[in-house]
Amino acid sequence: MLKITGGKVYDPANEINGQIKDLCIDDNGRFVESVSGGRTIDATGMIIFPGGVDVHTHVAGGAMNFARAMTPEDHRRTQAFIRTQSRRSGLGGMAPTTFATGYLYAGMGFTTVNEAAVPVLSARHTHEELADIPIVDKATLTLMANNEIMLDQMQAGEYERAKNVVAWYLWAAKSYGVKAVNPGGVAAWKWGSDAKQLNDPIAGYSSLTPGKIVTMLATICDDLQLPHPMHLHCNNLGAPGNISTTLDTLKHLEGHRAHIAHSQYHAYGGDDWDTMCSATSQLAEYFNTHPNITTDAGAVLFGDTVTITADGPWQHLLYKLTGRKWGNLDVENETGCGIVPYTYRPSNLVNAVQWASGLELMLLIKSPWQVFLSTDHPNGGCFWRYPEIIQLLMCADFRKECIAKLPDKIKNRITLPEIDREYTLYEVATSMSAGPARALGLHQKGNLGIGCDADLVIYEEEIDIARMFSHPRYVIKAGEIVIEDGDIRETPHGREFLVKPSYAPETDEFMRPLFEDCYTMQFDNYPVEIERIENPDVRILPGS
Amino acid sequence: MGGKVTCTLGEVKQRADFIVYWGGNPAECHPRHFTKYTIMQKSKFLPRGRKDRTMVLVDIRETKSAKAADIFLQVKPGKDFELITILRALIKDQHVGDEQIAETGMTRAGLDDLVHRMKSCKFGVFFFGMGLSMTRGKHMNSAALLTLAAEMNAFTKFVAMPMRGHGNVTGADVIMRWQTGYPFGITFNRGYPRYNPGEFSTVDVLVRGDCDAAFIIGADPGATMPQPAIDHLARIPTICLDPHVTHTSRLARVHITTAAQGISAPGTAYRMDELPLPLKPALKSPYPSDEEVVRRINEAIAKKPFWLPDGSQPQVVTAIG
Ligand SMILES: [Zn+2]
Repeated sequence: MLKITGGKVYDPANEINGQIKDLCIDDNGRFVESVSGGRTIDATGMIIFPGGVDVHTHVAGGAMNFARAMTPEDHRRTQAFIRTQSRRSGLGGMAPTTFATGYLYAGMGFTTVNEAAVPVLSARHTHEELADIPIVDKATLTLMANNEIMLDQMQAGEYERAKNVVAWYLWAAKSYGVKAVNPGGVAAWKWGSDAKQLNDPIAGYSSLTPGKIVTMLATICDDLQLPHPMHLHCNNLGAPGNISTTLDTLKHLEGHRAHIAHSQYHAYGGDDWDTMCSATSQLAEYFNTHPNITTDAGAVLFGDTVTITADGPWQHLLYKLTGRKWGNLDVENETGCGIVPYTYRPSNLVNAVQWASGLELMLLIKSPWQVFLSTDHPNGGCFWRYPEIIQLLMCADFRKECIAKLPDKIKNRITLPEIDREYTLYEVATSMSAGPARALGLHQKGNLGIGCDADLVIYEEEIDIARMFSHPRYVIKAGEIVIEDGDIRETPHGREFLVKPSYAPETDEFMRPLFEDCYTMQFDNYPVEIERIENPDVRILPGS
Repeated sequence: MGGKVTCTLGEVKQRADFIVYWGGNPAECHPRHFTKYTIMQKSKFLPRGRKDRTMVLVDIRETKSAKAADIFLQVKPGKDFELITILRALIKDQHVGDEQIAETGMTRAGLDDLVHRMKSCKFGVFFFGMGLSMTRGKHMNSAALLTLAAEMNAFTKFVAMPMRGHGNVTGADVIMRWQTGYPFGITFNRGYPRYNPGEFSTVDVLVRGDCDAAFIIGADPGATMPQPAIDHLARIPTICLDPHVTHTSRLARVHITTAAQGISAPGTAYRMDELPLPLKPALKSPYPSDEEVVRRINEAIAKKPFWLPDGSQPQVVTAIG
């Protein structure tokens, strides 16, 4: 039992904006009305937020592990966690090791993370890695938009079948929801091509277009009543002028729920790399008039990182542009992935536009319930640098100082200099916790109300915003104090959220021959056994 | 590792119409490779199976695998790197002298034909075996071939994949990477993982006599390592977990008989393309699994006082050398 008294509470889910309020936590790790006995934390003068929720990150699985193998030079120069009796050793950096990932997230006040790109074929591996990420709770999204068995059903106009196939895969992967990456484009990449236009048939199909995949998959997610809507990485990522593709994609989503991943990478104007500019005001305008759609920033921070995405063709382009290492892994029938180390430089005009665009989206989209803090870790920057973004959002003067360091040619390419908005603490709490929790359909997260999971973070108020957010005084996970005064106190195992959607019972027998045709493992060995998930929290969906 | 452009084996089965085995002898070392994954498979994209696929073998000698190949290229021993470099030049239409080609044992016509086929296939793959990765300049050779595969993507789809040995070497590699960032050759002697193959690899540590105990699982170094390493294993307390009596178990101070993975103990094995496959035991064993033994040892150790007094070490170090 734990009581926290006297703190200034920011709990947007309950419209509490800085009021002084006591919080009580029972032995089940939930908020209750009152407790008697147990420890009391005097939080007078401190700031209390719900624990952070990362709606889109890459922390585990084949691609991340590939990135670790490609960046030994970074492991050497990064921070190292030394083993203690309660804590495993590990390395931070651009592609942190599993144990370190848990410590780094918790150390920054984040208590729930969503691993946003898991191929079913290697889901078993991903879950094993997630079990080695301590403290935080986890969810995973399954890569679906280039799954050929599903695409074949869509091409044939067999909507019900396609829906059953998706539901079957989600349960096979023990996953929480659907991720769509460059719909049709990754399948085309298997032949070395891509899909850039929403209405052109994709390679290998006569009439199936990315647009149709987007609409059908969003409908499937709605019909299956998934707690989190389709999580979409749009076609044409990173390309100058791709705003038209993004807006066209959004038109295909009218009437549906959806989450658009890392919008920063999808909000560019211009015709080529020389004329590339920010087109965030057009995209923000769309969000401001369509409350059914949420997004995360995918913000960029200057410095070294490694990019990882299921978007194979984009990574090939990045490799050609940078001439640096290139990792690519195509996964049979399902998806692909690419890995390229990358350095964002303020002196590089394209990078400068990207840096400004991420911040612009967060500032131009009016409701923080719609746009969430993310760097698409590690793509735009490492997650442990989130406090730097919060500082940029909260301090217009600091932003102006940073803009002043960009090349002169940046003028007229970005709108950031004209934006004076500053995030309030309430808005930061919404964007880093309450908003993403709601978008994920995790109602017990990002919420300090009675009955919710007692995940919270307590900051000592400081002028230096980045310092304040990177050094919480306490972090409490499920009622347990995990961080205190910068020290890791406890490293409990988190839970994993997953869904059990309903599908027609004959789907197994429908899948078997198709599976045997294109996969190279036993059909019966393919689904991840529920016993392999550490602390599963299964949500049974209606109809099953 | 530098870059690596690869795929899972199912992609090869489905799409690869041009398959190069370089420095390997799959017919004898990976007998099911042809039938399960590569040349013999029919697929929706390659309905005629073997007829729709071209197989090339590059090796220093004509092994049994050469019979299965459409084209056999006999490279002079130790000239793999030169041959790969020549191919990297030829695909970019750069000039290569006749003399340089002859040194590798190839002819210009043969290489022109190879380059033409590489560029005109729809999906090409290099499998490289021990012959390439374990000979002189091994690291350079595989890196060069991986680069060639990456560069081929300017013309068509091309990937490369190492042919790993037997056992679950890949699995150990994968797990070490997610827990420590490094695949092997790791030391924890400062409390956090550091990597230096050649210094911290098991064999080097043993030969130098740097360790004062050894815990061996899933391997038989007593049969394969150099004598000084084996001598050191015999000198120190060595604990060996193995279902069988092995060279290592004979010299070990303690041998704990465990259930055989995949036969009588469940688990996960990682395939050469890093896909995890569940092992479902067909038999029951009276012996505990490796996992259970390690877990119980860990539990017993956890009850003992920690080796470092609390507060004697920082929790985190930065900018390490
Ligand atoms: Zn992502």
